[in-house]
Amino acid sequence: MSPEFNDLVGAEATGAERERLRRAHELLVQAGPPPELTPELRKGPSLSVVRLQQRRVVKRRAMLLLAAALSIAAVFAAGFAVANHPGGGSGKTVLAPETLALKGTAITPRARATLQVWHARSGNWPMTLSVVGLPKLPRHTNYEVYLVRNGKPWGSCGTFRVAGRSRAVTLTLNAPYALRKGDSWIVTRPGPAGGEPGKTVLAPVSA
Amino acid sequence: MEIALEVPQPRLRAVPSEAVPPAVDASDAELLERVGERNREAFEILYGRYVRPVFGLALRRLGDRGHAEDAVQEAFAAIWRSASTYRPERGAAGGWLYTVARNAIVDRLRRNGPAADAELPELASAEPGPAQQAEDSFVSWRVHRALEELQPREREVIELAYWSGMSQSEVAEYLGLPLGTVKTRTRSGLARLASVLEGEDL
Repeated sequence: MSPEFNDLVGAEATGAERERLRRAHELLVQAGPPPELTPELRKGPSLSVVRLQQRRVVKRRAMLLLAAALSIAAVFAAGFAVANHPGGGSGKTVLAPETLALKGTAITPRARATLQVWHARSGNWPMTLSVVGLPKLPRHTNYEVYLVRNGKPWGSCGTFRVAGRSRAVTLTLNAPYALRKGDSWIVTRPGPAGGEPGKTVLAPVSA
Repeated sequence: MEIALEVPQPRLRAVPSEAVPPAVDASDAELLERVGERNREAFEILYGRYVRPVFGLALRRLGDRGHAEDAVQEAFAAIWRSASTYRPERGAAGGWLYTVARNAIVDRLRRNGPAADAELPELASAEPGPAQQAEDSFVSWRVHRALEELQPREREVIELAYWSGMSQSEVAEYLGLPLGTVKTRTRSGLARLASVLEGEDL
């Protein structure tokens, strides 16, 4: 039961001041009592990382890692499927992809890459390139992957861009050539003239 | 209680945000600004001012002290995370905090799902409608926040006078104070409350 305003305030407050107090009184009655805090809430914020939040962050990170792992597994599964497809152009059966490790040259010493070459299918050799450490290029210019034969750039296998040195990129390329033993690959900057390879930024580790 | 905070990695700063502690009588908007700079003391002051309004709001919506306590935790975590997005020119800090807290509580309500024993009522409910409930919630929020601005001795007599069921004589006897003192403190408490609510920088 709410107290009577007149009992609380008496006759001392008058006029506008009395109306102010009455308004506060009515809001107090309408609001009801504030809750009694639990002991945990009374302790106040400790500012340490809370388990609940931590669990959420960990869960979110775990989900991201899981998604990344599934993506990698999917790439491998796709490659495996391609390698074992009965319509393969050469008729060979390659169960595992060839993997070529590439490293940065003097102008891109921190760059690293792996190039997985899957077995041929209908005359195409799908490749998966994972690269990190390459600087972002100016607009309208791309890195280019070249098939190297007899020590010279022989044919383009595709172009790509990167968002920056710290951003890893994984992409699918293709070599529409009949590959031979001893073939290799490099990654180049754009050349001064269109169609010509520029400076090499990634070369095979064994080279 | 532990609040969910993403404590930032230490960085070199020209002026560390913790260098100057916030004034205890800083406005809510000033405190929010400091919280946005990851100032822990400002956050603790803000917590002291708002934990009861947030808990009250959570209890109204969730009806369970355990869930409400979790919702308070989540609400203050949300305040910590998003304080830097507060813009004083867009409205009072109290309204912004109310919105953030209410959203955190609604999220908790959604996660809890409907009560297992919930049934559609056969008769029209005498309960207030959603609009009235929302207004009541906001009034409670404002008043409970304003109570935090009273002197402890004023607040004590106000709470006893309004919600203990005791008469003023009984309050005086309970506190061991002269009846005149209780009446004076009640009036001054009401007056201060009126000023805070009129100022509405909450």
